[in-house]
Amino acid sequence: MSSNFEAYEQDFGTLTAEITNKIGRIPKLGGEEKTQLVLNVDKQLEEVRELMEQMDLEVRELPIQSRGMYQSRLKSYKGEMEKLEKDFKRSRIAYSDEVRNELLGEDAGSSESQRAHLLDNTEKLERSSRRLEAGYQIAVETEQVGQEILANLHTDREKIQRSRDRLRETDANLGKSSRILTGMLRRIIQNRVLVFVLGAIILITIILAIYFNVRGR
Amino acid sequence: MDNSGKEKEASALMAEAEKKLKSSQSFFGALFGGSSKMEEACDLYARAANMYKMAKNWCAAGNAFSQAARLHLQLQSKHDAATNFIDAGNAFKKADPQEAINCLNRAIEIYTDMGRFTIAAKHHISIAEIFETELVDIDKAIAHYEQAADYYKGEESTSSANKCLLKVATYVAQLEQYQKAIEIYEQVGTNAMDSTLLKYSAKDYFFKAALCHFCVDMLNAKLALQKYEEMFPAFSDSRECKLVKKLLDAYEEQNVDVYTDAVKEYDTVSRLDQWLTTMLLRIKKTIQEDESDLR
Repeated sequence: MSSNFEAYEQDFGTLTAEITNKIGRIPKLGGEEKTQLVLNVDKQLEEVRELMEQMDLEVRELPIQSRGMYQSRLKSYKGEMEKLEKDFKRSRIAYSDEVRNELLGEDAGSSESQRAHLLDNTEKLERSSRRLEAGYQIAVETEQVGQEILANLHTDREKIQRSRDRLRETDANLGKSSRILTGMLRRIIQNRVLVFVLGAIILITIILAIYFNVRGR
Repeated sequence: MDNSGKEKEASALMAEAEKKLKSSQSFFGALFGGSSKMEEACDLYARAANMYKMAKNWCAAGNAFSQAARLHLQLQSKHDAATNFIDAGNAFKKADPQEAINCLNRAIEIYTDMGRFTIAAKHHISIAEIFETELVDIDKAIAHYEQAADYYKGEESTSSANKCLLKVATYVAQLEQYQKAIEIYEQVGTNAMDSTLLKYSAKDYFFKAALCHFCVDMLNAKLALQKYEEMFPAFSDSRECKLVKKLLDAYEEQNVDVYTDAVKEYDTVSRLDQWLTTMLLRIKKTIQEDESDLR
């Protein structure tokens, strides 16, 4: 039984090699040859699928202990087959490099330049993200500085308000003191007038006393 | 800049002032206008002190100012006495911190006597700063800051009061009196929320309060965080809130690495300052202790 499986494996190997070869050639061709080759590859893929089914049946008839190894091999073959199918599909619709080169007249290093281009882009992206990070840090610092400034402003505001109130008080006090001073001035003048009046009266009394004295003699 | 010349002038002035003082205290002096002699002596002392300041002889300057201040006290002019004590304190700050504190204390007594609490509070802050930097006595510094905050509150300057309270809170949190720190931060935070100028700092205060809660007990921290979010919706958007939530989760899972990662991430954006690093380190140590306990 296992020998059958091995025979199938060998067939599988040869078929997949052929298919890969043909798939590689398909994009470079055009027109009639391409369609023929495509049909060919299609047929070979069908054969591969039949092979896979038979291998499956074989594995199922095997005793349980040896099944494991064959099953893992079968899985890997299935994966290969799927990959081949994908490549086939892609190759049918892909433009080959050569045809493109004929059209656009570039040299064969276009894929290299594409790679360099991509690396460039990635670097630019990294630089931009680093700049953004730095910008964010600066924004956060600015916010902190702003907080401090606002707190200072608040304190200053209160100080200014208090000073204004004190100034108004001082103003009122100054008004009061100026009124008191004018009052004092008035009293001084009054006192002086009084002193003069009294002085005058005393003088007159003395003069009268002397006068009467002299008159009386 | 003839410093030695200035010093000589200054000492000459001091000698003259002392002579005037002695003459005013003798019998005749007191009779014939002793007070004007004392005022002149005060003046001379002040000038001498200024000259000492120019010569950078701080001790002598401080002494001269204190002499002048004492004379003013005798002359019953308290304002001038207090100002001279302050000048003495400033001069001593550069030379002898202890003397400076004495002078400043006397000045504060005079000001509180006169009822000028704002100025007294300002000088309490100066004393507290001296204790912070030169004499490194944190308890006394805290006491002075608290006194200053009380005076400011009495004079209705909540902003200056809050400034002092914040300093108190940073120090008591470092001394592990978390309850007091939490109260202060919450109070200041709620005050800040309402004011348009201060609301951008409010989230900082809540963050610090949450950290203090965290140092005490994790459940407290969770409840507190929810309370703050309710009170102040903008808080939940801030990076600080997100950091605290991550730290809480890390603490629940007792995972030191997650904790360190979260802290590192925050640090790359905005540097952690001294106080924050100390508190976070303490919390981290409690996690590590719990881990080793469980093992």
